[in-house]
Amino acid sequence: MNTLLEVRDLCKTYHKQSGWFSQRSVIALQNISFTLAEGKTLAIVGETGSGKSTLAKLLVGIEKPDSGDILLAGQPVKISHYRQYNHVIRFIFQDAAKSLNPHQKIGQMLDDVLRFSTVLDAQQRKLKIRQTLKQLGLLDEHSEYYPHMFSGGQLQRVALARALILDPKLLILDEALTALDPSLRAQIVNLLLELQQKSGLAYLLITNHLRLVRHIADDLLVLHQGTALDYGNTAHVFSNAEHDYSRKLINSAIA
Amino acid sequence: MLLLDIKNLTIELKTPDGLIRAVDRVNLSLREGETRGLVGESGSGKSLIAKAIVGVLNKRWLVSADRFNWCGQDLLRLPYDQQRKVIGRDIAMIYQEPSRSLDPTAAILEQLEEAIPDHLLEGPWWKRGYLRRRKAIGLLHKVGVRDHQAVLQSYPYQLSEGVCQKIMIAMAIAKAPKLLIADEPTTALESTTQAQLFRLLASFNQLKGTSVLLISHELESIARYTQSLSVLYCGQLVEAGETASIIKQPYHPYTNALIKSVPEFQPNLQPKTPLYALPGSIPVLQHLPIGCRLGPRCPNARKECVKTPTLDRLQNHYYSCHFPLIGKKDL
Repeated sequence: MNTLLEVRDLCKTYHKQSGWFSQRSVIALQNISFTLAEGKTLAIVGETGSGKSTLAKLLVGIEKPDSGDILLAGQPVKISHYRQYNHVIRFIFQDAAKSLNPHQKIGQMLDDVLRFSTVLDAQQRKLKIRQTLKQLGLLDEHSEYYPHMFSGGQLQRVALARALILDPKLLILDEALTALDPSLRAQIVNLLLELQQKSGLAYLLITNHLRLVRHIADDLLVLHQGTALDYGNTAHVFSNAEHDYSRKLINSAIA
Repeated sequence: MLLLDIKNLTIELKTPDGLIRAVDRVNLSLREGETRGLVGESGSGKSLIAKAIVGVLNKRWLVSADRFNWCGQDLLRLPYDQQRKVIGRDIAMIYQEPSRSLDPTAAILEQLEEAIPDHLLEGPWWKRGYLRRRKAIGLLHKVGVRDHQAVLQSYPYQLSEGVCQKIMIAMAIAKAPKLLIADEPTTALESTTQAQLFRLLASFNQLKGTSVLLISHELESIARYTQSLSVLYCGQLVEAGETASIIKQPYHPYTNALIKSVPEFQPNLQPKTPLYALPGSIPVLQHLPIGCRLGPRCPNARKECVKTPTLDRLQNHYYSCHFPLIGKKDL
């Protein structure tokens, strides 16, 4: 398996002005390293304030790391090269209903993504949109729909369509499965697994839901206050976690 | 003794296009000291039922029931004042998002003291203030907040969601209720705090004999802490009975799908294999199917399913399905 994403010693500190001359700094991430191979799933778990979301922001380039490297297929990633690699890494937000523009038809929204990031002409774009919708089990006429006309599970599919239309290699799901109802979640999980098997997508799953992690993730990284505690194969970490904190987290979900 | 006994509870919404039946003839009963789980997906009407029990639905909703008994008294037929009095005395509710249901403009001490009724303070009137404060501190200790000084002086925005939820529980148990309704108490919380809260609710149930009605959409977390279970789908009661027996052998296809879709209940399931899922999605309230509302999604739906099934009973296990999934050896 080829290594898709490699992160080495990533650090991020936020500075906050607390007086005229004094600064308070919050260490969000400290020396985080991991690798993710093609077609694999890495789950990142931790409490709020553990730096999960900061890590996701650094990976998609919303924020700049203080130090450390992000290597994508062996090439270091720079913020200024954002246009090059936003094809490769796509991001799905927690609440699909809130992350879609209510004024825009689905087809229009997908067309915008292609117009900004590819060189396809109108005809090719239309074809691509149709293919993507079909791949996610949606119909052609859904491109004429507005977001409010979809149900929760379909909206999540639309959000997936927006992410997958550029044929990414890595998909970052920031708590995207947590808010769904159980039967919908099972549907989306099945869809994700199927896509992974077909096209070798890699997932970075940021979540609180440890039971689901055990089912779909290959590797697991436990974050606590910005530092990585346990990292390794999911089954291995679940059975013998080294740190007390990760053990507590795992037990709370299973016992 | 039956604490709460509801038969054929129907909740309807008045709209310009006529009445929409959001909750369709649901039965619910609770014994003293029982913990019951109420499971259903979004839009299944579980919060509506909870709100109907505490009587906080607004006038657009029509609540009717054949029987709505609380300790032998029919709540729906009581005059309004008396109804408020009974509910205020005996039933407490914990809402979904704690930081939103606390008053943002008042410190915790003030809010907590307000929740303590006068008749629980024993002492002369000039000592009331002092006793009230002592009681508030005691309540905080009970729910597992050790650092009471800092918490009592804080405002809700300064506290974490978990602590806010604990304060909500403290306010709910301040009047020593007979029934505690927890409406999705853990959705906003971390998994470690979630376990803590469930343990807290379980301990009140065991120590004080408070009945708990636990509402959630996560079957797996509820199954661990409840004795009995009611499963709702789109406002219809699909299955009710003891938790252990439902998990072991569900009779309704929907419950079966719920259980099968959770990896935790499937110890033999290999990682990364597809989960069991029903096709389609939950219908919206304006377009509910007739008869059994699961009909269009049900794997074993047949012609008879356009009629609403009646609630059948096998020992202590109720189900409403024309074609229940009963193991062959039972027949």
